Amino acid sequence: MANIVHYINQFFAGVGGEDSAGSGPTLVMGPVGPGRRLAELLGPEHEIVATVWCGDDVASGIVPAIIDLIRSVDVDGGVGSDVDGGVGGGVDLVAAGPAFTSGRYGLACARVAAAAHDAGWLAVASMHEDNPGLDEAGATPVVASGEVARRMAPSLDRLAGAVTKLLRHEPLTAADGRIGKLARLTVMADARAAERAVDLALVRLAGDHTATEIPLPRFDQVTPAAPVEDLTTAMVALVTEGGLVPDDNPGALESARATRWLRYPIGNLDALMAGEWRSIHGGFSTAYANDDPHRILPLDVGRQLVADGAVGSLFAEYFVTTGNGTSVANARRFGIEWAADLRHSGARAAILTAT
Amino acid sequence: MEVMALTRLIHHVQRVALGARTTFADGELVVSTDEAEGIMAHPALASVRLTWVSPGESARIVKVLDAVEPRTKGPGGAGIFPGFVGPARTQGEGETHVLRGAAVVAAGFLPRAQEALVDLSGPAAALSPLGATHNLVVEFTPAPDAGWEHVDAALRAGSLRLAARLAEAALDAEPDEIEELPSPSPIRGDRPRIGAVTNLQTQGLFKDVFVYGRSFGSSLPTLLDPGELDDGAVVSGQFGHPALKNPTYMHQNHPVVNELRRRHGHDLDFAGLVICPEPVNQAAKELVSAFAAKVCAAAGFDAALVTKEGGGNADADMALKMDALADLGIEAVGLYAEMAGIDGTGPSIVVAPEKATAMVSTGNYDHRLQLPTMDRALGGDEFALVHAPATSAFEVPTAVVYCALSPLGWGRVTARAG
Repeated sequence: MANIVHYINQFFAGVGGEDSAGSGPTLVMGPVGPGRRLAELLGPEHEIVATVWCGDDVASGIVPAIIDLIRSVDVDGGVGSDVDGGVGGGVDLVAAGPAFTSGRYGLACARVAAAAHDAGWLAVASMHEDNPGLDEAGATPVVASGEVARRMAPSLDRLAGAVTKLLRHEPLTAADGRIGKLARLTVMADARAAERAVDLALVRLAGDHTATEIPLPRFDQVTPAAPVEDLTTAMVALVTEGGLVPDDNPGALESARATRWLRYPIGNLDALMAGEWRSIHGGFSTAYANDDPHRILPLDVGRQLVADGAVGSLFAEYFVTTGNGTSVANARRFGIEWAADLRHSGARAAILTAT
Repeated sequence: MEVMALTRLIHHVQRVALGARTTFADGELVVSTDEAEGIMAHPALASVRLTWVSPGESARIVKVLDAVEPRTKGPGGAGIFPGFVGPARTQGEGETHVLRGAAVVAAGFLPRAQEALVDLSGPAAALSPLGATHNLVVEFTPAPDAGWEHVDAALRAGSLRLAARLAEAALDAEPDEIEELPSPSPIRGDRPRIGAVTNLQTQGLFKDVFVYGRSFGSSLPTLLDPGELDDGAVVSGQFGHPALKNPTYMHQNHPVVNELRRRHGHDLDFAGLVICPEPVNQAAKELVSAFAAKVCAAAGFDAALVTKEGGGNADADMALKMDALADLGIEAVGLYAEMAGIDGTGPSIVVAPEKATAMVSTGNYDHRLQLPTMDRALGGDEFALVHAPATSAFEVPTAVVYCALSPLGWGRVTARAG
């Protein structure tokens, strides 16, 4: 019999919604929420021995703590005893989700599954193909869920199928609902590209309208948020990918291929003085930006709008990263982290300046 | 209808040397250093140094600029490289002598030129067409106070003259092979009509391509007879994106055009070649793309093989053009290098077509290669990308290996999901 630990968020654990999104990780023995149905689908051969849940706002940043909790599960002696000394005390597989299209939850599921995989367990996450967390799973398999929680039943059917197959040590394929990008590996083809291009044209002309060597990249379609109802009372944040930092770049923000974002206080400033701020962006000539840093971060106009009563207030910090060859996975993560942070800070809108 | 427009008289170069006189006999090409230096002489160049490097040697060329295959149509060039060596008059017919297996390769610093390398042995040798040719490397010292644009022009004109002169040495030699090349057929038959659409990266000084001696930057797409490529009507002055550039050598030996010629009258009819500039701004890209599709439609293309030059910016030209072709009912196949990140998990393409989705992969730009030490290096003492001696061992992205991801379809490197 295989022992499974199921990862879910605070909402599906029945703890609460946004009010509980800051809750830290918690271990519960046995299945919880959607885990109960998952356990039924898995049948008597497999057992969900424990559930770990965590609040959406904090989960993706504390994955090691979540992994430690999973490791503390001991299937014979209860929580925390770890008497047999094996990996996870006999845990065989970690399943995460379904996360549907929920960004923070999806990010957490992807990272928990990837970390569980790295820790030596079998692992699988479940989320919708459009979930921004998908790319964070790396080589760990992800199976498709529906778009919204209303699609829970078919999503759990698919997750159960994937769990069963993984426990038989069989690889998951598209037929199992596997989603996510497989790495593009460099190989030598039998024929030169010119010859293959002619062949492909003939195949297409013969009526195959899908043949290709490169699948179309999937670009996100972002649904705009609803307009802010009353800007005159709203707190607005300034956010930029323009690499604008204090002149000595104290946080060592990268000029290209950024892996992080930084925050700096502007609450006591009315303007950004040339010489005190600098764009370290490596993708364009920064001379004009450094002459007048407001070209990257429009604090001057922001303060004026507040003075005029058009905007309620400005958030006391700005967020910054460098958008230059930045991986899509990192850019997605920055967006999720910014949104969560700003929501908790009370900001109602953000102006994202791009270069 | 079979129209034979151009005959290539192929002379295989098997051995090379520097000597007192420029000669070609029994597969051996000897180049007079004095004569070659005289041909390269220009007020913008203080001096040039000529060196042969051959396949299998422990040698590396860095800072590779343009490469030219030695060709001539007769004494004095007789019209070869029109607009540079010969007058700007249409070419592409008659006989052209080709020194196959040799190239004239300019190497050294120019502004905006991205660091490029060719290895003559080791894992990168098979990735570049110049890894398998005897290369007459032209290194240079600019004249004091010479403007870089004059140095660039002097190297281009000199390399083309030198290439024509080397081929002239073979005029009296019996060719090893004779290739009779069909011209595209203007008449619709039973076979599918497939043509080539070739984008030329025209983004200003040091990133420009010349057609009949003139920058193609402000031109609209036009039909070109493939024989005109053979005779050097398209000359590269584009030194960005080494793996994704199309030097003169590659235009002379355009792989997609050669493949269409090879299969013409068998499983397809070669419908024609349309060349297009790759301008910088979006409105111009849109105009050029719509115009290219219109020219292809007028030439009766059923399908077009679309090729690019350059990095992510050039993906926009590809996507617009492929979709413009699809709008006119022409099946478009794009040859793309992927920019999928070191581990191959990033998005492959910067701007993807929406309607025309047939793409051939010429490999991943970011894929890393481990290159070994070499006994000698030409073109410079340092490999600028990693600030290491040019002869040392280092790791590089495939993107720096000259023509390794050839958008014209030369290579066998590709990327697959795995």
